[in-house]
Amino acid sequence: MRPSPLRMAVLIAANLLGLLAFLWPFVLPLGGPAAHQADAPVILVGLLVLLGAVLFVELGRGGLGPKAVALIGVLGAAMVALRLPGFVAGFSAMFIVVLVAGNSFGAGFGFLLGALGTFASGLFLGGLGPWLPFQMVAVGWVGMGAGLLPRDSRTSWRVRIGALAAYGFVAGYVFGAIMNLWMWPFLAGESALSWDPAAGAATNLHHYLTYYAATSFAWDTFRAVGNAGLVIALGRPLLGSLDRASRRMRLDVREPQPAT
Amino acid sequence: MTVALALTEVSFTYPEGEAPALADVTLEVPEGIFALATGPTGAGKSTLLRTANGLVPHFTGGTFAGRVRVAGRDTLAHAPRELADTVAFVPQDPAASFVLDRVEDELAYGMENLAVPPERMRRRVEEMLDLLGIEPLRDRSVRSISGGERQRVAIGAALAAGPRVLVLDEPTSQLDPQGAEDVMAALQRLVHDHGMTVLLAEHRLERVAGFVDMAIGVTDGSVEAGEPGEVLARLGGGPPVARLGRLAGWNRVPLTVREARATGMRPLGPPSARSVPALGDPLLIARGLAAGYDDGPEVLRRIDLQIRQGEVVALMGRNGAGKSTLLRCLAGSMQPTEGGVRVPARAPRPGVDVALCPQEPESILFNDTVEGEIAATLAALDSERPHPDPGEILDRLRIRALARRHPRDTSAGQRLLVATAAVAATGAPILLLDEPTRGLDPGSKDRLAAFLRDHAAGGGAVVIATHDVELAAAAATRVVMLAGGELIADGTPGQVLGDSHVFAPQMTRAFGPGWLTPEQVAAALS
Amino acid sequence: MHPGAWITWATCAGVVAFTTTNPWYLVVLVAASWFVYAAHRVEGPAARSFRVFLLFGLVTMLVRTALVFFGTIDAASVAFAALEGARLAVILVVFGTFNAVTDPFGVLRLAPRRFHEPALAAALALSIAPRTIASVRRVREAQAMRGIVVHRWRTLPALVVPVLETGMEEAMTLAESMDARGHGRGRRSRYRPQPWTSAGIATAMTAVAAAGVFVIASARGLGDLHPSTDPLEWPRVAPALVGTIIAVAIPGVFRRSGP
Repeated sequence: MRPSPLRMAVLIAANLLGLLAFLWPFVLPLGGPAAHQADAPVILVGLLVLLGAVLFVELGRGGLGPKAVALIGVLGAAMVALRLPGFVAGFSAMFIVVLVAGNSFGAGFGFLLGALGTFASGLFLGGLGPWLPFQMVAVGWVGMGAGLLPRDSRTSWRVRIGALAAYGFVAGYVFGAIMNLWMWPFLAGESALSWDPAAGAATNLHHYLTYYAATSFAWDTFRAVGNAGLVIALGRPLLGSLDRASRRMRLDVREPQPAT
Repeated sequence: MTVALALTEVSFTYPEGEAPALADVTLEVPEGIFALATGPTGAGKSTLLRTANGLVPHFTGGTFAGRVRVAGRDTLAHAPRELADTVAFVPQDPAASFVLDRVEDELAYGMENLAVPPERMRRRVEEMLDLLGIEPLRDRSVRSISGGERQRVAIGAALAAGPRVLVLDEPTSQLDPQGAEDVMAALQRLVHDHGMTVLLAEHRLERVAGFVDMAIGVTDGSVEAGEPGEVLARLGGGPPVARLGRLAGWNRVPLTVREARATGMRPLGPPSARSVPALGDPLLIARGLAAGYDDGPEVLRRIDLQIRQGEVVALMGRNGAGKSTLLRCLAGSMQPTEGGVRVPARAPRPGVDVALCPQEPESILFNDTVEGEIAATLAALDSERPHPDPGEILDRLRIRALARRHPRDTSAGQRLLVATAAVAATGAPILLLDEPTRGLDPGSKDRLAAFLRDHAAGGGAVVIATHDVELAAAAATRVVMLAGGELIADGTPGQVLGDSHVFAPQMTRAFGPGWLTPEQVAAALS
Repeated sequence: MHPGAWITWATCAGVVAFTTTNPWYLVVLVAASWFVYAAHRVEGPAARSFRVFLLFGLVTMLVRTALVFFGTIDAASVAFAALEGARLAVILVVFGTFNAVTDPFGVLRLAPRRFHEPALAAALALSIAPRTIASVRRVREAQAMRGIVVHRWRTLPALVVPVLETGMEEAMTLAESMDARGHGRGRRSRYRPQPWTSAGIATAMTAVAAAGVFVIASARGLGDLHPSTDPLEWPRVAPALVGTIIAVAIPGVFRRSGP
């Protein structure tokens, strides 16, 4: 089903708001003394929770229905299971589930699965905390993006897998960069790597990139390479299974057709 | 009598289906009746069941014509969720159908959806716990209880919201004889004491034929309903006693052991001893085998067992007796805590000396086609070992026609045959099968039995862990009985099954020890 | 205890930690958290959270301090960074406690009606996960029994495809069963919701009060919440605030009841 223009606008606005929550160190002209840093994260967590609420309500308008709930349950369980073994460094195998499911079932499903699967694995492993809304939204975006790639029946497997692998590679870094961003002002202290409320966006961006390169780049490389590698190794059979399931489950069925 | 379920000229075709799954079906199931739907796999039983609460066509999509009314309500006008208080549906695999974690919460889930007031919900949950005898399980996780208990919880969860019609898809297919008996008894109580209407699909007619008031034979999408004896007689299926009745040309085909005895016809004296095949060389030797999991109690206790060339061994015993664990030890995939397994010169190598077809045959299927599945096994073989001919294996199991099909698009029975073919392609002389009769229709079961006998006759050996006494009676040359991890009986099917109450096949029950198959009895009668 | 009480407790204890970098207050708060954890920890993997988060907190503190070396290094900035890091570490400890004492299904049951479906999906993911893990083990063993040993990238499909296919078929069964049992009819009632006990109410109220005290103290600059690091000074302590933090440990006094 295709969302109406109004819903589309609401969804886009909600996502922009969410992006703002991550990008606040560049965007908010706080300008004041460091003491005011204290309010920002509280506001931001609130902002993000709001975004999550809007997205869930919007995507689930009229009900997700038993099929989507069951699929998110099963695929979310796979995400939980894959997070357990504690793969090398930042590379977490659960991304492969989000990537292929988002690509097969579409952007809206990808977002819901990413967010809810992350939430469930947080609950299962005991990882609840203020970071969880950020994680949920960021993983949700990864799934959403995977659903926006070429994926219709005319796309050849080569193109589809290539695009998804490349996307997974980039998403590996972007996810890390975004997840580090919201904590950066608290973590980086006062140095060439730190957030400077008085400086402009360009200076802060430069600082952040240095900080990111120093603390997270190597770590995130595992994730990027892991994503791309898993998509290349498993993308074809996994997408095949999911596409078949989505045909068999008739996710698009709303009303039965009367025979003529 | 009021009609609980009425189908009027119903035709249905699945979205990607070519032939209609149901063709012009008209059927009435009166209230308070225990009805059985039966027929070969893929004939449309599951589709028929799913029309009763509107899953067909609301859930599946597809082209639907005609009218289905359940307790007077039209399923085309009401989605399944709106019929939840009218008709209950229990799918084949209850473990996959549970929504919540705790038994008690699971029972209440349907009522929460129907906005039943909390006090009433509480009372109904307590009633269900008593009615199905699952009160001790109330705080347990639905994942931690046994198969028979799961089935009863699923029935309770479906019934809690108070529907008058209950539809079940193969409710006993995963249960041992006792578990199946408990479930059937619970269902009969619902019909007799509470006036429910129950419609179930089942392959193992020997388990259900004695309970039902009405049979619905489904073949190629069309349906005939009536008195069980008549319908099953025309359908050509039925439990072993029915098969005997047909073989012997009796006027009235019996459905239960009791009816078979009532005919007064019985063979004179004990059966002549079956020709026992000469014992071959030992292929697999287990000595003093003990095994267990982690810190749990011992599952196997000092088992001594020799499997010889030419044998088809049926490994029997109730759920949890240690059958699967013994198979895993024999296959070399589990290390025993004491004793060991030899073949006979060395420890068995999985996929070389011994190959095992798992309890869920689907769990090894990962290719796009059936022939691809065989090829995958062959590709993993050592290059110096002789490669079996894939076409021949498919022929011997009579699934050549499926070669280019997707293995997951075939019926449960066909999947098992495909998995068996994939396992047999290893060329291992010893084949092990864990519970191969789940969801298996009689036709597939006959093919499997023939294949296993051939394999043993060709110089190999077969061990089947099974609850299916009729399969053991028909295919095994030897029966080994386990209880509490110990080997309690070992001998010919006639000796072991003839000496058991729970595991006796129908022919033994009807005509005494030694009689195993309808063919054997019919030959003695004529 | 009602999961809502724990959410309130964790949020408020987190706010307390967030308002101060005074090591005395932070140490007392860690002790209070440990006391609560010891009295209420659940069984299962989540109980490890306390230790894991404590460790994670220490690492965060070290990283935060180490980053000073990218700028001017002197005693004042190192001390400032260490205290900032300690604050983050204590927030982590508070949430580690929260994770170790709450029943995840209880948290999900708190979801408002509007979010019933997303919460149900997450609950399903939680309860299906052990089955998925078992399925991975089972498939790996079953494939080995037909001679296919899953060990490298090329052989991974033999493992993941059956797990996924089985999962998809189970999803189908699950969806049917939900549909047949009236999922999505709109109006719902709730079976045996967990009641607020007096222990839960006391826990939530003391936590809110403690957070309020610290927010007010922070706004008024009372109690040396942020000890001076330049010049470096020995942090002072207001006994009333220490008492307030001790009150946060109140749930540790109530015994855990029920499963």
